[in-house]
Amino acid sequence: MKKIRNRSVSLLLIAFLVICGMIVYVLRYVDDGRDWALYFSRSNSGSTGQLLDRNGVMLAYFSGFENRFADDATTRKANYHVTGDYWNRTGNGFLAEYWDEAMGFDIITGTTQEKHSQMRLNIDSTLNNIMYKHLSVLEIPLEEGESLTELPFEPHTVHQWRVAVDAEGNVIAESEKDVLIANSWDRPRFCNSAMMVCNYRTGELLGMISLPTVDPADSETPPAEGAYINRCLSASFTPGSVFKLVTAAATIENTEQLSDKRYYCEDEYYIAGVPIVCMHSHYNQTFEKAMANSCNVAFAQMAVKLGQDTMVKYVRQYGFLDKQSLDGIPTVAGSYPTEFVGDPELGWSGIGQSTDLVCPYAMLRFVCAIANDGVLLEPKMIDDGKAPRAERFMEAGTAKKLREMMSYNVSYSYGGEDTFPGLNMCAKTGTAEIGDGDTHAWFVGFLDDEEHPYAFVTMVERGGGGLYVAGNTTSRILQEYIANSEGADE
Amino acid sequence: MLIFYAMTTSKYAVIIMSVLIIVRCIRSMLSERYEAEIWSYVYRGDEAIPVYHWENLIGRSLSADIRIDNRSMSRVHAVLVRSDKGEWRIFDIFSKGGVWVNGMKVGPLGTRIHSGDSINLAGNFLRFLDINRYHRSLLEAQRTQAGLAVEPSITLVYLTVFELFLMVEHMCTAESEFVKPICLAFLGLICLEWLCYHLMRFINRSGFEVETLAFYLTALGMSVAATSTPEDMFKQLLLTIVGVALFLLNGWWFRSLKRTSSLRVPMGILAILLLGVNVLTSEAVFGARNWLEFGGYSFQPSEFVKVFYIFAGASTLDRLYRTNELFSFIGFSAICVVAMALIGDFGTALIFFVSFLVISFMRSGSIATVLLAVSGAGLASVLAVTIKPYIAQRFAIWGHVWEDIYDKGYQQTRAMSAAASGGLFGKGAGQGWLKDIFAANTDMVFALVSEDLGMIVGMCMVLAVLALAFFAVRSAQHARSAYYAIAACTAMSMLLVQLSLNVFGSLDILPFTGVTFPFVSRGGSSLLSCWMLMAFVKSADNRKNASFAVKTAEYAGIYEDELDEFDEEDIE
Repeated sequence: MKKIRNRSVSLLLIAFLVICGMIVYVLRYVDDGRDWALYFSRSNSGSTGQLLDRNGVMLAYFSGFENRFADDATTRKANYHVTGDYWNRTGNGFLAEYWDEAMGFDIITGTTQEKHSQMRLNIDSTLNNIMYKHLSVLEIPLEEGESLTELPFEPHTVHQWRVAVDAEGNVIAESEKDVLIANSWDRPRFCNSAMMVCNYRTGELLGMISLPTVDPADSETPPAEGAYINRCLSASFTPGSVFKLVTAAATIENTEQLSDKRYYCEDEYYIAGVPIVCMHSHYNQTFEKAMANSCNVAFAQMAVKLGQDTMVKYVRQYGFLDKQSLDGIPTVAGSYPTEFVGDPELGWSGIGQSTDLVCPYAMLRFVCAIANDGVLLEPKMIDDGKAPRAERFMEAGTAKKLREMMSYNVSYSYGGEDTFPGLNMCAKTGTAEIGDGDTHAWFVGFLDDEEHPYAFVTMVERGGGGLYVAGNTTSRILQEYIANSEGADE
Repeated sequence: MLIFYAMTTSKYAVIIMSVLIIVRCIRSMLSERYEAEIWSYVYRGDEAIPVYHWENLIGRSLSADIRIDNRSMSRVHAVLVRSDKGEWRIFDIFSKGGVWVNGMKVGPLGTRIHSGDSINLAGNFLRFLDINRYHRSLLEAQRTQAGLAVEPSITLVYLTVFELFLMVEHMCTAESEFVKPICLAFLGLICLEWLCYHLMRFINRSGFEVETLAFYLTALGMSVAATSTPEDMFKQLLLTIVGVALFLLNGWWFRSLKRTSSLRVPMGILAILLLGVNVLTSEAVFGARNWLEFGGYSFQPSEFVKVFYIFAGASTLDRLYRTNELFSFIGFSAICVVAMALIGDFGTALIFFVSFLVISFMRSGSIATVLLAVSGAGLASVLAVTIKPYIAQRFAIWGHVWEDIYDKGYQQTRAMSAAASGGLFGKGAGQGWLKDIFAANTDMVFALVSEDLGMIVGMCMVLAVLALAFFAVRSAQHARSAYYAIAACTAMSMLLVQLSLNVFGSLDILPFTGVTFPFVSRGGSSLLSCWMLMAFVKSADNRKNASFAVKTAEYAGIYEDELDEFDEEDIE
């Protein structure tokens, strides 16, 4: 009998396998139970969910029986990259995840609890609509062969400077001259764009748009190519001159007697036999002027002087090389030459060319930190009542210097009040060459205005000039938004 | 509003009661003291070796019950066997040195031995001493009575409360025309279990855990019926009554080992006949041809063959060593498995195959035999898949059910969704949507219960069967005869495999084969066979005064069946 007794243990083996199977089931349930449950059981749940913007405008509503978005097509399209859709085609997973949550699944109660939930966003759909209005103009495709169109703003004049130099290259005279900014726009194609606006004092992300976009309620029209990509979070672009802010920050922190420094520029500058080209000759210029002139020669020299290790250190410190996360939605990482490249390439990388790529969201964090005395309040799209994460992003002195320079940029080079009426603008333009003759138009900065503490990043893909296209559009958007919100206050 | 409160209260009460019932039964079955019975002594010199079973192996082997470590002994030398009537025999099982009783050589048919007889095993002398009635009642008094640590009647009260709350839940959700039959069926079930309990008390039996767990699962089955086929409540109750009757009948039959083992060959023949009729006459119903029409009732012969298979497959220890029946048993098993495959019931074929592995391992102890069988089966299945590619198709979807939710993964995906949507506490009996999917109340019953009553109850359902399996293993340690030990373990292995295929098949952890969950799935044949299989578990339960299927020593030390004989002896 002892033999039989011992052998009866074979039954325990089967029992053990059954227990293993149950453990597998429980683990899978914890992992995938939500997906399983919502696939078929959703229509049996009485739960509902709503996604609202900061003013209570309904952006998405869903129940067991229907999915609805805003009634107005513009609002639907302008906010598509905020809400995403139920099918998670934008990949941000935001709405899909919230939807699952709102439909009432959790591991303990399954979908048995009927929930009626609401999620409020920091996003202002009015702002998104305004951005959509102004940026979608750039989207209009032109006929074959047609290449000239009008930009949606009035032609106006801005001051520019003519410089006279003596035989030694010292500036002997500087005279103002009015230059007409025409509204003609030489763009042969359809322009994609991305723009974000964030309150740098509170971290609230007020607007986010990426074009082309999709109408989630329209299942008939095929979306434009690339419409599902959120260019604010899920793409990175050559930054061009806006990257000079990074080089400038590194220079401020690593150069003694910066105010005595002069940078000399005469069209071209050779580093190890490779030319760095500038638009004009700027001759002898201070650090501030070099920034206002957006002088390639000066910033290439700064990058080479700092050395690659220092540049990489700052690029990394400011988060350009890492994936960031907006309320849990991951963004893409940017790039910067981190392997040894040699001085000429390093020079180019210091002015935002070379292999530099920047995700607009990373740039937004950077300008938010500059605007907020070097302290970054991590932008938040969801209004969950919690304070945003705050971190010391850069030294307060660096931020202050950059603020002054960005303000100076506007008054010295961008036309000041003429271009940005009513806005206390601090900014930097970028016209990033992408190698095929086209340029990305960038305009990044903030309003130095405690009532309207908005930081922004505007990027028009292959849009042409930074100031002409991105700068002017941003100006019009912010003017209209401020006028609109003040009108609403009254 | 009242209905809402009644519903919510019942929902949580059902869960709490479920857990209590399972915990109490597990405590009672697995942690109560369980002393071995002593049937006689063998003296070697002055050393007394107690004899714990009715069938004992004597030899040099470490796993011998009476071990004599002497080179002259064979590893397995002799078998010492007690009959129902208390008569002892010794068999020489092809030993090298031979066996003598009182100087007489023991032949192949064995020799009857009496108290005081001297046994010579290849020069090793043993003296056999039977225990007298007085000694037996002393020994019996020292053993722990079953059901003392965990009072079975309280567990049964919990079970009754569980059933009442379940009934209330159904009263809240069922259509009004079905409320009455559902209530009557539940009340009938409650009456039946208390009747059964009092019957056991009446015949002085106090182990009721196996019945409690079986009734618990049956009540869940009743709930599944009330959810999916409320028009059949009376049929369900009737089937339960018949099932319990068959359980009692089977258990009573098992009281005599001689009677039980005499049925081996007839049952084997009956199994083959039944399967033969099934293969030849039946028609395909929903894919598998495992249904048989008989006098207006349709039933699944394969369910009954499970019981016959164990009857035929279990064996007493002396037969195991004296005759070489393993090959005829393998042949018999092969016929059963092939018949199942011909019928197209691959799930049941697999159940039989695993049961065959368990029986043949318990009989032979040979892993080589098991491996041989497994590789043979593997080869056969490769062959089957090559000849009939549609079988392969059924398995191809395994692990990918979400890729084909409208066809091959239809049932599994819905089962998983429903099971997950119930969470831990469920939606409330009858509140789910899975019941409208085909075969929800049979093949996907775990999901149906999880959706309605919650995952905790679903787990309790699995735990109940697991607890029975652990109990079968525990009982097998003290079983009187190898026959009971093998039968109990095989019965439970059948139920465990059946459970695995049902639960894990519907959850896409195993291929979906469409077998029933023991007791819970709808299906009369399945319910009856499960109750009959429980009798095997009862027959191995040797705790003091625990099981009605085991004869017990009265206070005078007489076994119940010996009473008549005792009276006669007394008169003499």
